[in-house]
Amino acid sequence: MGADKGLGRWEIKDLINALISGLISGSLYAAMALGLTIIYGVIHVFNFGHGIVAVLGGYFAWLFMTEVGLGLIPSILIALVIMFFFGWLLFKATINPLLKSPNWEFSTIIFLLGLGILLENLTLQAFGPRVKHIPPFFEGSLNLGFVWINWHEISLIAIVIGFVILLNLFLRKTWFGQAMRAVAQDMDGARIVGININQTFGHAFALATAVTGFSGILLATKYYMTPNIGWNWMVKGFVIVVLGGLGSATGAVYAAFIMGLAEAVVTLYAGSLWVWPSWFVMFVIILLLRPQGLLGGRTL
Amino acid sequence: MANWLTWKKIAITLALIFIALYPFLHGDTYIMHIFILFFIWAVVASNWNLLMGYAGIFSLGNIGFLAVGGYVSGILTKSFGWSPWLCIFLGGLGSMFLVTLFIGLPALRLSGIYIALLSLIFADTLPTVLTQTRSITGGAMGLHDIPPLFEGITRFQSYYINFALFLVMLTIIYRTIRSSTGLAFVALRDARDLAKALGVSEYKEKLKVFALVSFLTGITGGFYVHYLGDISPTTLAIEPFLLTIAMMEMGGIGRFPGAVLGAVIIVFGNEFLRLAGTLRLALLGALICAIILFFPGGLMQLIDWIDGRIAKFKKNRTSSVENPE
Amino acid sequence: MNGQGDHGPVLTIKDLDSYYAELQILRQLSLDLGEGEVVALFGPNGHGKSTLLKAVAGIHPPKSGTIKYRGREISRLPSEKIVEMGVAYIPEARNLFPEMTVEENLRLGAYNRRARRNLEENLTWVFSLFPRLEERKDQVASTLSGGESRMLAVGRGLMSGASLLLIDEPSIGLSPLMKRVVFEAVGQIKSETDVSILIVEQEVDYPLKLADRVYLLKKGRILFEKPAGEVTKAEIEKAYF
Repeated sequence: MGADKGLGRWEIKDLINALISGLISGSLYAAMALGLTIIYGVIHVFNFGHGIVAVLGGYFAWLFMTEVGLGLIPSILIALVIMFFFGWLLFKATINPLLKSPNWEFSTIIFLLGLGILLENLTLQAFGPRVKHIPPFFEGSLNLGFVWINWHEISLIAIVIGFVILLNLFLRKTWFGQAMRAVAQDMDGARIVGININQTFGHAFALATAVTGFSGILLATKYYMTPNIGWNWMVKGFVIVVLGGLGSATGAVYAAFIMGLAEAVVTLYAGSLWVWPSWFVMFVIILLLRPQGLLGGRTL
Repeated sequence: MANWLTWKKIAITLALIFIALYPFLHGDTYIMHIFILFFIWAVVASNWNLLMGYAGIFSLGNIGFLAVGGYVSGILTKSFGWSPWLCIFLGGLGSMFLVTLFIGLPALRLSGIYIALLSLIFADTLPTVLTQTRSITGGAMGLHDIPPLFEGITRFQSYYINFALFLVMLTIIYRTIRSSTGLAFVALRDARDLAKALGVSEYKEKLKVFALVSFLTGITGGFYVHYLGDISPTTLAIEPFLLTIAMMEMGGIGRFPGAVLGAVIIVFGNEFLRLAGTLRLALLGALICAIILFFPGGLMQLIDWIDGRIAKFKKNRTSSVENPE
Repeated sequence: MNGQGDHGPVLTIKDLDSYYAELQILRQLSLDLGEGEVVALFGPNGHGKSTLLKAVAGIHPPKSGTIKYRGREISRLPSEKIVEMGVAYIPEARNLFPEMTVEENLRLGAYNRRARRNLEENLTWVFSLFPRLEERKDQVASTLSGGESRMLAVGRGLMSGASLLLIDEPSIGLSPLMKRVVFEAVGQIKSETDVSILIVEQEVDYPLKLADRVYLLKKGRILFEKPAGEVTKAEIEKAYF
């Protein structure tokens, strides 16, 4: 970048570039955090395999594009469908039984951790360690006077906004979505109106898996993709959902943008190597000052 | 009935005698090395078990405690030339302070998931910090040529020193479980409201255990580092983390001495794991998933089952003696 | 006993035993309910009234005994099936969806497939029973007053199109005015529909007026069962001790 480390010389142009970059990564983080929030909000389980799910979404899309030769959109759609059913199956086969055991909070986390590593390694075996890319949706950039912004990046923000709106509509206007909200807000109440709790859990898990996979695809178009990059995304996702308030989707979206912008500013002034520790420090500060997060206590 | 002499006590005594005499009986240096690793990791896993299984503190960062203790001790010994024994102690203190400050205080008052997240990020951030501070910590390459506990130490002597560490640490952990703190946790687990009404402060007890475990693990890190002679950020990689979790799981979380049994299997079995090459991590992940799904109580569950069969067997024997059909 | 219609009683409970862990709550309890009947279940707190309702609703299954709804054994069925069959449980804790509006809560009450078909109709009827709810229909449930949230809970239960209502202490914690409103609504349900109602209450006056029959539950057993006309408030209260 050429800027000095620390409080070096800064220009408005650099700052604006950083902020725009932060907005874009913020929107990507938002997509990713939503998957975590759905699972936590409805099932009260923290998905420690979140990272690899995102990566898998990206890899499946990549697979269909390069090996099978389908276009961008069909590849993405098929990848999402696969992720949905994968999530559904995973839930029925493993997580559902675990939920019934006395130590379920603990067991599910350990299980998902182990599963995450297993899948990560299998992905490594299947796809190799080399960096993969998913091509950007559009070529070319837009000149806004003193800054350039890619059309692709603009499309990413638009896609995420559209996606959040769609998700919101789904949650509020369909019976499936309302059932998830009901279970998230009052499980006993949901039972009373005749909602099948376990089935709703399964739906939520499947949906969240597809959402997370989708976010992985988006992330792969802006950054790159290797089997282990999921871990980083996941940890960032964790900080975001805590900042936003566990279980709150709106909170997660706000938090994602805040962290995206913060990260960009830190990169500008301190260098990219201090980004990771800054996430940790942010996390500690949140826990000390306001552990319930921005919109804590609210749910889907 | 000679109840005092259970099969378990016999087995443990025999095992300890065997370990104590091994260097004289066979004395292969490589196998002694594996034993030393076993001593160290069994202590780390048992400490973790005390934290997670008994105190119910869901920490995912215990490898970080080990690393901090090890790095502090290594750096102090190398930079200042102080006695390794002193530095190990300081390493333990360093670990205790850092960890309690950055994880314990912010997160212990909150529900379990926050500690899990915070400790995970802590352990995850350490490698980056270590890489950045190359001048002090040796960066990505780590520290090398860390002086041993004393000049000219032999494998034989290391073996007994670390065996002593093993025995002392496990005794401390055992005593803690049996102490008022341990009872407090059982009370909190089984009858939370009553315990609190009786004045048990959950937060204080958790803080105590957290400080203790980070201290002990930090010290163990010191011994680890002075035995091996080097340490690098790879100690904080995913593999030792998973291995330790697998140790606790296999043994049976929340049961003493589950983690030790798990360590036996994992440390000695790790040799086989090497053969799997790049699939190592996949196997580890699969192992962890399988245990939690099918065998959540671990080896202790198996031992309980054996105990149950023995009790039934004895009952049948005495009742048939008293009431011949 | 009485209440035998063409299809037998709506609810037949026989020799029900229910436990919480090792503690036995219900002991060999038997009770029945006929078509269109309103039955009041009185008894001291903690003696099993809520446990009984939860057993019927499928939320806390019994250890042994039978529960038959219109002749079908339901004691081992999952709660969602029981709701589908036409049984609605309205708990004391209300269990409303705090961040949804009054209308969203009511609409969710019609979640089961059978009720979805008559959703709009039922919604209109519930609003007519509780005009206060219609006024507040876009208000978020967590901001409702005690009486209003109780009304919403009852209304949500009605949305399920149930033919058997299990109501747990609807008047608890309410002001005298609100109590009257709630019981008047129950009275309206009784007169405008043929829904059968099993109502559990501490308060005796209103339920006694509404009920056709009365049961008294003490220490997990039925102490007595009488037609409402043949028992006085004093008798019931005496039986509490």
